[in-house]
Amino acid sequence: MTVRRVVVTGIGAICALGDHPSQIHQALCEGRSGFAAPTVFPADIAPGYQVAEVPGFDAQNYVKTGNVRPLDRTGRLALVGVELTLADSGWTTERRVAQPVGLILGTMFCSVRTIGEFDRRAQQAGPEYASPMDFSNTVLNAAAGQVAIWQKLRGINTTVSAGASSGVQAIGYAMQMIRAGRADALLAGGAEEICYESFHGSRQAARLAAPNGGGGPRPFDAARSGMGMGEGAAFLALEGEESAIARGARVLARVAGFAAAYDPTCHADCLGSDPRQLPQGVSGRSRDNRATGLAGVIQRALKDAGIAASDVAFVVSSASGSAELDAREGAAIAAAVGSRVPVAAIKAMTGEALGASGALQALAALETMRTGRLPGVAGLQQLDPSLAIDASPHTREVRAGHALVTAIAPEGNCCALVLSTD
Amino acid sequence: MSRDSLFIYTNSPMELRPRVVVTGLGLVTSVGIGVDAFWRALIAGACGIGPVESFDTKRYNVHIGGEVKNFDPRGLIERLRPNGMGRASQLAIAAARMALTDAALDPDTLDPSSTGVSMGTTSGEPSMIEQFDDQDMAGTRDAIGREFIEQYPCHVIAAHIASEFGFEGPNLVIPTACAAGNYALAHASDNIRNGEAEVMLAGGSDAFSRITYTGFARLGAIAPERCQPFDKNRKGMVPGEGAAILILERRDRALARGARIYAELVGYGLTCDANHMTAPQGDGAARAMQIAMADAGVRPDEIGYISAHGTGTTVNDRVETAAVKQAFGEAAYRVPMSSIKSMLGHTMGAASAIEAAACTLAVRDDRIPPTIHHETADPECDLDYVPNQARQVPVELAMNNAYAFGGNNASVIFRKHRP
Repeated sequence: MTVRRVVVTGIGAICALGDHPSQIHQALCEGRSGFAAPTVFPADIAPGYQVAEVPGFDAQNYVKTGNVRPLDRTGRLALVGVELTLADSGWTTERRVAQPVGLILGTMFCSVRTIGEFDRRAQQAGPEYASPMDFSNTVLNAAAGQVAIWQKLRGINTTVSAGASSGVQAIGYAMQMIRAGRADALLAGGAEEICYESFHGSRQAARLAAPNGGGGPRPFDAARSGMGMGEGAAFLALEGEESAIARGARVLARVAGFAAAYDPTCHADCLGSDPRQLPQGVSGRSRDNRATGLAGVIQRALKDAGIAASDVAFVVSSASGSAELDAREGAAIAAAVGSRVPVAAIKAMTGEALGASGALQALAALETMRTGRLPGVAGLQQLDPSLAIDASPHTREVRAGHALVTAIAPEGNCCALVLSTD
Repeated sequence: MSRDSLFIYTNSPMELRPRVVVTGLGLVTSVGIGVDAFWRALIAGACGIGPVESFDTKRYNVHIGGEVKNFDPRGLIERLRPNGMGRASQLAIAAARMALTDAALDPDTLDPSSTGVSMGTTSGEPSMIEQFDDQDMAGTRDAIGREFIEQYPCHVIAAHIASEFGFEGPNLVIPTACAAGNYALAHASDNIRNGEAEVMLAGGSDAFSRITYTGFARLGAIAPERCQPFDKNRKGMVPGEGAAILILERRDRALARGARIYAELVGYGLTCDANHMTAPQGDGAARAMQIAMADAGVRPDEIGYISAHGTGTTVNDRVETAAVKQAFGEAAYRVPMSSIKSMLGHTMGAASAIEAAACTLAVRDDRIPPTIHHETADPECDLDYVPNQARQVPVELAMNNAYAFGGNNASVIFRKHRP
């Protein structure tokens, strides 16, 4: 049985660096930082900290008809990301009415701001003052549902959550649905907003890079001290190859391989559960001794794509400046594809956009294949000597062919995606 | 029939797809903890709804809920610290351990890399944001600890299950609100059919929450005294809590180890209304049923039981009845359809997982749990809702329907297993 091929027919994104794929890629190649003082919550909550907001975001600038008021910030970011993706891929309203298009949206919090404000209002003023309209936005699939209504997306509509790996998981989920013949056309990616709740929580959990003189997030750097928060929305338009060709769509690349797994040792190390409490031999008792965690996931994604480690032209990693996660990701990349493959990391520029990050990484990979230019790792001064990877602060030329996108979350979720133009 | 469903046949012939069976059930519900207590209670028409105890409802105009009383995680959570996690994770791990035991699977000898977790939830761990808010309102924001960011995000539910048992396979939470359990089951069945896993722990979990309660109260959706799905005098839904885990296993693996098989998961359908955030539309629900039947390769008149979404709200029950008629035609009048939410209330993301467990028991035992509190027929709800008494009747195929905020619809079909 031949596996149905899944192709990318469009990209749409909005983040701190811009609202067009080539513009975002150019900013990445210039090493431009999207970080500035926060405006979505009072800056005096955390003096000296910067975040990578979408500057001056107004969804109404992108969707001329209709009122965006019922949507919260996550919903509006998702709406704009989808609007741009539909335009880029040629999925007109008429086409979407004739043929169902679905939406697979990755998010970590959807809007924890909406949830927190709804709860605080009910507690302070009384439940009778909580807004029913806000309640419909407190469900974690609110953004996907709101965007489906707005854009008339009647196909499969699934919200997936796997923390900072949600976006890559969403693309993998969509690819598998199309491969299985359960859908012809799905938009896949994710959305996340910066808000007080997630920012303050991340700060209290010591996940943020030091403010002021700390120099911001420094992925893979020996002196990294944490991540910086970002936001945005990004989606890929995915389709079965034959139906994409049949409608005359422009094909940008194939989604050639995907794999996902869970690493209990990551959960133990990042969330502080006592390693002695882990089941005996975790990560050492897998059948046929295949590598576990992210390294094993990369190997299986390459196998799914039918390529060898030596075929990988470059990697767009999820490294964010986290001490623990960057070490795990770098080691896994080195173990799976070796030390000579150029590795990029974009989160010192875009910020850690959580659910949106995976699709932003995929965007960076697709634009790198189109232009032949791999963005340098902003924030990287001295590569962590324990990491045997080829990461450079400088933007450089790479070949197209096969790009690897990786993601790992502190809770233990890890996944890998292969995008191919060969 | 939509194009989407037809590709299932053109691309992956039924006989080439690995088959997926249910070999274990774990349940934490307001009517019973453990599969036997749960099923006995459902067949007896027991009611788990009572006065809310987990928070003070004096500022609300409604006061009932379907809380799980006397739940003790000790003995069920062995490796992780129950006190460090939210209640949805506790309920989920407890359900997972019971399901593994029920399936006669030893987590320490299962191949970790081919064992995964797929969970649905509406709210994740709401107690964590509630604690955050309490600190914030008290002006003690600096006292908020690391547990908010580490224990609040919904995907920790699946992560906790995997960490408790050391499972390294696919791990995902699908938070598609009140249909989430069915989405999680559908995804888990795909993980097995795709060869990514041989065993999946799949289901849903939600904890009773003041946020959810406030929201449904403000929508005017909560019934004052009891939940009466499809009754002419129904007055709304009742928020509840609970967890269910189904052990999904590749059929040849289950047969090789001589596992007891409850049922086979033979198909599913997912659609989106794309119409309204909170009001169901009906056409999307009907399409989900049709796609599920096409996926399973069955006709409407072969379905022996429909587990309804059946929340007890005026709109849901009327629209759902119409949707079943649209999908089933004349056969709609002959298929028994009940709502166990009459007994449990609406357990949110856990609901369709708990109802899926009930479906597998229905096809195993040829018994259908009733819709309790059903007294007065509604001309707009004129199907067979199995009122008040369980029924013994052959059930070869059961369809589990779930609908959610956001217009998310999911139908899953189980078939009686024959070796």
